[in-house]
Amino acid sequence: MTDEPEKSPPTAAHDLSADDVGLVVARDFVHRQPFTFKSGQVIPEFSLRYETYGKLNATRNNAILICHALSGDHHCAGWHTPNDRKPGWWNNLIGPGKAVDTRRFFVVCANVLGGCQGSTGPASSHPETGQPYALRFPFVTILDMVRAQKLLLDHLGVTELHGAIGGSMGGMQALLFAIEFPRFVHRILAMATTARESAQAIAFNEVGRQAIMQDLAWNRGDYPKEGGPKVGLAIARMMAHITYVSDASMDRKFGRRKKENAPSDAYNFDVQFEVESYLRHQGQTFINRFDANSYLYITRALDQFDLAQAYGSLENAFRPVTAESLVVGFTSDWLFPPEQNRQLALALLRSGKSASYAELSTDLGHDSFLLESEELYALVRQFLERGQPPTVDHSL
Amino acid sequence: MKTAPPAPLGQAVKRTVDMEIIGGWVEPHTRVLDLGCGSGVLLDYLAQTKKISAIGVDLDFAQITTCVGRGLSAYQGDMIAFMRAFPEKHFDRVICSRTVHELADPSSVILEALRVGRALTVGFVNHGFWKNRFNTLVQGRKIRNEIYTTAWFESRPENPVTIDDFEHFCAAKNIRIARRAHLSANWHTPCHLLPNLLAGYALYDLAR
Repeated sequence: MTDEPEKSPPTAAHDLSADDVGLVVARDFVHRQPFTFKSGQVIPEFSLRYETYGKLNATRNNAILICHALSGDHHCAGWHTPNDRKPGWWNNLIGPGKAVDTRRFFVVCANVLGGCQGSTGPASSHPETGQPYALRFPFVTILDMVRAQKLLLDHLGVTELHGAIGGSMGGMQALLFAIEFPRFVHRILAMATTARESAQAIAFNEVGRQAIMQDLAWNRGDYPKEGGPKVGLAIARMMAHITYVSDASMDRKFGRRKKENAPSDAYNFDVQFEVESYLRHQGQTFINRFDANSYLYITRALDQFDLAQAYGSLENAFRPVTAESLVVGFTSDWLFPPEQNRQLALALLRSGKSASYAELSTDLGHDSFLLESEELYALVRQFLERGQPPTVDHSL
Repeated sequence: MKTAPPAPLGQAVKRTVDMEIIGGWVEPHTRVLDLGCGSGVLLDYLAQTKKISAIGVDLDFAQITTCVGRGLSAYQGDMIAFMRAFPEKHFDRVICSRTVHELADPSSVILEALRVGRALTVGFVNHGFWKNRFNTLVQGRKIRNEIYTTAWFESRPENPVTIDDFEHFCAAKNIRIARRAHLSANWHTPCHLLPNLLAGYALYDLAR
């Protein structure tokens, strides 16, 4: 997902508007029992950092799980402090009265297992040795992420999920939730996702991994907390960022515009074009918040994800599903293109499931699922609220 | 979309006319595919009255949104490409209600629908209806009325299909007509006499 370049810092505290979840606090769920990964490897305990918005109802059936993408985190709505530069990454979608209405739903979002935003991952220390796991961390899969989040939901007293929602890698998690915990999940909404990455998507991930691993500071994964392969990670991010947008959207945003102080006849390799400066900024922002080993692990998890291979066929994979599904593709997404999203819906329908496919015309590329679009909001709302009584608003 | 001028026979009636007949043909608890489902009014009606498992295909995002809100399965995309993704006789019934006349390749759609469906229901406005003939004869221009609401330059290509044309097509393609319903000018009472001239609307139930 995209980090926006710095906007002018807020002059005062944000107007926490009525449709905003406001100030939120992240919590940690600590599972003090061994967790066995799909690989068979075991860690003695793990924790997940998560946030919740809205209230779990008495029947405990109004929970919606938000699943984040590769570089996302648990902070998907609201603000941590009034002076935050920007809100959670899906703040436009989640909030009181928004498409994912927190007056109606209890929204949960956790940083994935293997991540680096507070959940246990390669940067965490092994509880017995006190040393960072680094490459001793088990190979994490999308299934492991899902199973860890299920333990969190159990801990929160959620007995059934009204829905699981995610874009990109989050969509993979939503699909797996419906497959692995069929009676637990009633709706899944998967956007800009795939049943398995194409060779091209794997190729891009591999270039990113190589950029990290060829950086001498990577040191086979053993690097100090504040050190590590910063150059490699920044390059991985710069390249990946290009795959999240599109030719058209980059051209609209930057064109061939030059940096203000760039001489027009600069015969050197300093930043000249705005797009270069933007990508460098993307890389720099990323190294301050992301762990290089986590990047290796999670991109590997993405590449390994293959529903058809794991279950024999896509139809087989979806056989246990009882959830109603909605898959959304975006016309300009060339990383997980519409065709791959369509295939998901078609396989669900061939398996006799309730499934819908919608395709939004945008030119913003893969990151379109984060788009501010009334059309998309209407679709999400209709899907989540169908068959539901209308909300009674008790506020004045 | 232009609003049709007020007419003795309201659009609402005309929209629901084939619902009752199709509803009579649809078996309860079957899997039904509606090609060009629009906002899903017909499928919603069938889902409620016949408890069918409903799937609609349409090209428009907003229509899909409405279908999703109704609790229907809806797929945004090309109907031929959609059907090609399914094995033979996956659907108990395919419905093509007031859609065939707008298709670029009606023959392919109908044949593909007969492959994936055990039955195919086609409903269309009979262009051979005498008023249409008379209008063309007198005006010498594209018909504009409550049914044909758009000028030639603002509408999708339209195949002015008639009952005789359709019957000829079925015979040529060896398509078995299991049932037919010809409705008179009011689109309600049955029309038995000279349907190609006197029927306003036609419904066919096809099989292979």
